Amino acid sequence: MKALRAGRLLFGKDLRVLGRSRGLVAVLIGYPIVIAILLAIALSGGDRRPSIAFVNLDAGARTVQVGEERLSVDDYADRLEDDVDLVRLTPAQADEALADGRVSAVLTVPEGFITDLQSGLKPPVLQLATNPRSPIEAQAIERNLESAVFRLNQALATAYVTQVLNLVDLIQEGGTVGIFGRSGTLLGLEESERNLAQVQKALIADGKPALAKRVAALRDYITGVGGNLELAKPAAQAIASPIRLEVREGPPGREPLSALGIAGALVVGIGLVGVLLAAALLSAEREDHVLSRLGRGLAGAGTIIWQKALLAAVACTIVGYVLLGVVALTTSITIGRWLLWLPALLLAGLASGAFGLLVGALARETRTALLAGLMLALPLAVIALIPGNDIAYWVSAFAGFGPAARIFQGLLVDPEVTSSTYVGMGILAVVALVYGVAARVALGRRMHA
Amino acid sequence: MGAPLLEARGITRSYGSFEALAPVDLTFARGERVALTGPNGAGKTTMLTILAGVQAPSAGTLQWAGGSPAKVGWVPQRPALYPRLTTRENLRLFAGLEGSDDPPATADELIRRADLGDFADRRAGALSTGTMQRLNLAIALAGAPSLLLLDEPTGTLSPDQRVRLWQWLADLVRSEDMALVFSTQSIEEAARHADRVLVLARGRLVHDGPAGALDEESFMALLGDEA
Repeated sequence: MKALRAGRLLFGKDLRVLGRSRGLVAVLIGYPIVIAILLAIALSGGDRRPSIAFVNLDAGARTVQVGEERLSVDDYADRLEDDVDLVRLTPAQADEALADGRVSAVLTVPEGFITDLQSGLKPPVLQLATNPRSPIEAQAIERNLESAVFRLNQALATAYVTQVLNLVDLIQEGGTVGIFGRSGTLLGLEESERNLAQVQKALIADGKPALAKRVAALRDYITGVGGNLELAKPAAQAIASPIRLEVREGPPGREPLSALGIAGALVVGIGLVGVLLAAALLSAEREDHVLSRLGRGLAGAGTIIWQKALLAAVACTIVGYVLLGVVALTTSITIGRWLLWLPALLLAGLASGAFGLLVGALARETRTALLAGLMLALPLAVIALIPGNDIAYWVSAFAGFGPAARIFQGLLVDPEVTSSTYVGMGILAVVALVYGVAARVALGRRMHA
Repeated sequence: MGAPLLEARGITRSYGSFEALAPVDLTFARGERVALTGPNGAGKTTMLTILAGVQAPSAGTLQWAGGSPAKVGWVPQRPALYPRLTTRENLRLFAGLEGSDDPPATADELIRRADLGDFADRRAGALSTGTMQRLNLAIALAGAPSLLLLDEPTGTLSPDQRVRLWQWLADLVRSEDMALVFSTQSIEEAARHADRVLVLARGRLVHDGPAGALDEESFMALLGDEA
């Protein structure tokens, strides 16, 4: 009860001190928010067209006509430029540009690309080389090119199916063939059937009924084939475009931010606020020389730690909701699960706050604590944003940033809340507990040294 | 001398292999003013922080009259307060932490007793050194202590501020029936403002006697090589 009362009094004192330290609050809360917003803009790769080197090794390629689709390597490149900025380079120039960072990736059209496309015997392959030092950008480029290749494949599939349907008509009705580079004249099933009817009549007139009967069987077969080919047309059309996606642009003036960008902004914002605020508040107690007074039974190390961790968690939650509110109000992204964000933000704030308290308990003065907190928190928060990397996840988990980033992304994009979200919250609670206990031990030693 | 208050037996304090305090035996009684003096590094602050409960002794016991620990007021050398809070807010906070039933009333009473009325709503960080030391002392009184411990309380004060502080402390001891123990490096200050003087040298108690019995010459003789 006494500890609760002491914690409540110190919590109120800290709020009052923060209210009177506008410069400090601006640094501790304003700075992380600004950094978070800048990071969100930087990570929201959806608006930026990556620059990609384009290397064409299929130098002697011809143009291939597929129905109304006329394709050459240049046509392919022109279509890709709807999604990315292509810079046409030689292989050596492209490798150099990728190494220098002047381009984000190298897209190579290998020799025989058009031939493969024309033959239809094996699918033509494009080669994409990305920069391993920019995994976030590489992922965005892969997504862009996969989308572009998918749209082109769909157009080609439609053209091919149209050609196949024309061929079906030719087989049925006859005419001039012009597909996959071949040409000629086809008689057609209908004309064949009419010719056979005349042959059948002539055989009967010549007194050859047995032969005429065999021709009749052939006519029945042709009629049957024609009917079955008619059935193939709707099936082929369905294959050409099994699912169609209709894309509409959002309202003008509202820039889309990726989930990665928002999660990154939250992790950096909350991480820095939690670490810096907790570290500063705790080290300020020492700078004010009050620890020896408090340590005489007025407020123990445990009370001071939980009180400041709670304050950091509350501050982080407010900052998190502010950032989410800004995203919800200024972008077309829908932020849902507002209630579930509460434990996620609180636990993330608690973990980063406990980490900051350990820094504050170990540092000798506030400036050192702030510098150390910033130097430790910023890289760990950035590491947490490297997608799909387990090592980065566990490295950044030291301050709770990795689990927080995954929880935030999950809450933003996952259609359903999965068990991994709750597991992540559990990890954050454990991180907070471990750092809280460590900070309590360190502070206890300082108070009674 | 008044009723016994505290008896310290065999108090030692070591930091690794360094012995800051050799076994020291001390007694304190209500209503007495005790000066703890000695050269730098003699163990004065270590002794006071052990008596204040800031740190535990490596060995030895503190035996309080009546069996249960009395309230102790602790005035560290550097003011231990929140500079961004006002005088009144500091006193209310520490009165609350000391368990006062009515922290605002306790704070108002302390402001009156410490003559801090003109500075009650001024931020502590903006107070003069002497006023800040009065606040530092008033905070220590928030728990109505029976033993008041001060670590070199006049070290940063001007002569007139020192005079006022000693007057107030003498009044406090008389009116509150408390024991006052202060550390100082000045044998003159110890002799003038204490009833009893303790001399520490290299962590050992080398003198425990009436203030009048110690002058500069005998003090230097006690220190021996330390001097």
